Amino acid sequence: MSFQDIEAGRSFASRRNLINGKQDPTQAVASGIFQINTAVSTFQRLVNTLGTPKDTPELRDKLHKTRLHIGQLVKDTSAKLKQASEIDHNVEVNASKKIADAKLAKDFQAVLKEFQKAQRLSAERETAYTPFVPQALLPSSYTASEVDIGSDKTPEQRALLVESRRQEVLFLDNEISFNEAIIEEREQGIQEIQSQIGEVNEIFKDLAVLVHEQGAMIDDIGSNIEHSHEATAQAKSQLAKASKTQRSNSSLTCLLLVIFGIVLLIVIIVLAA
Amino acid sequence: MGILYALVGRGSVVLAEFSGTTTNASAIARQILEKTPGNNDMHVSYSQDRYIFHVKRTDGLTVLCMADDTAGRRIPFAFLEDIHQKFVRTYGRAVHSAQPYGMNEEFSRILSQQMEYYSSDPNADRINRLKGEMSQVRNVMIENIDKVLDRGDRLELLVDKTANMQGNTFRFRKQARRFRSTVWWRNVKLTIALIVVLLVIVYVVLAFVCHGPALPSCF
Repeated sequence: MSFQDIEAGRSFASRRNLINGKQDPTQAVASGIFQINTAVSTFQRLVNTLGTPKDTPELRDKLHKTRLHIGQLVKDTSAKLKQASEIDHNVEVNASKKIADAKLAKDFQAVLKEFQKAQRLSAERETAYTPFVPQALLPSSYTASEVDIGSDKTPEQRALLVESRRQEVLFLDNEISFNEAIIEEREQGIQEIQSQIGEVNEIFKDLAVLVHEQGAMIDDIGSNIEHSHEATAQAKSQLAKASKTQRSNSSLTCLLLVIFGIVLLIVIIVLAA
Repeated sequence: MGILYALVGRGSVVLAEFSGTTTNASAIARQILEKTPGNNDMHVSYSQDRYIFHVKRTDGLTVLCMADDTAGRRIPFAFLEDIHQKFVRTYGRAVHSAQPYGMNEEFSRILSQQMEYYSSDPNADRINRLKGEMSQVRNVMIENIDKVLDRGDRLELLVDKTANMQGNTFRFRKQARRFRSTVWWRNVKLTIALIVVLLVIVYVVLAFVCHGPALPSCF
């Protein structure tokens, strides 16, 4: 866009050289718009770093200077654009020049809108975030503050200020020692709880070992009882068989006695006869 | 043990106090009130013999208590915080214009209750409550260990008895088998005896029928 404008400016300038001999306003406006574009890009890049770790007071300062620079550029370019417009109204020029000037005016409007948008975003972010102060910056700031105090206040006020600061430091030290004591006591309590939990853990482990051993003992008891049951069943079977055999023995004994009785009777009868 | 004396004051003016025992804590407390200048917030502890005076000042109101050195700092300062909140909630802005001992009649009872609570109730402090609960768990687990050991002893007895029973039943089985064998042999003997007697009778009868011991007529 800007480069096309510059080329258009050159061609028109050469043509005007042949006809009128004046070329400054239009080319100046184009150059101004180009510079404003570059400055607005830089400004946007600076705005994008707001709220990041790179956000420092130096960056804020650069942002402010860039804003002022853009304002100055806008003022100058606006004045030149007005000159070009007056030339267009006063002098009879060709239609191509009018069209080029109108295009430049539209470009200028667009650049202004873009700058206003970036400026609004910058204001928002400057309000939302505070600049990140590096560690190295603090001593110099403190020194500047000291020098400022030295230059501004009377010796009495300076002594009072030192005393107040010393008391404040003493107060903070007291608070720190108090909090440290509370924290140490709490730590002791928590350590005691931890040791008790460790003891309970050991007790649970011992209990597991004991229960496991007793499981083995119960298994032994079970196997003993099963063996006893089997032996008793076999013994019962043997006793049943013995009982049956003994019943048969009784029958045989009776039979023998009867036979002996009969034989004895026959012998007695034969002897008596 | 625990918190023995408590006091609420504004500057060096005592508004309410309570003492659990007869000590000179009141005089020492007044000295501490006068010795701590200024109006800024602070936490500080002074030791006196076996006791420690804990002082807390917030918004111009000073709360002080005397505690054993075994009570530590966490519980006394929790007590001071609690008393401060109760006092401000009860009396509000009247604190700044009250007369000496203006609140002593009613607030000393609250001081007494809170001293009792923070001195003896384990729930006053979360860490102490956890400590108590862990102690209970440990005691229960120790009882469990004892019961399991006792169970182990009885299981050992049971193992011995069942082993004895097993041995006895093995012996019983062996003797039952021997008894069965004995009875069987007796049965065999009786059978043989019966057969022999029957043979003898048959021979005698044949001898009579055949007219002679050598049985001449039958053959």
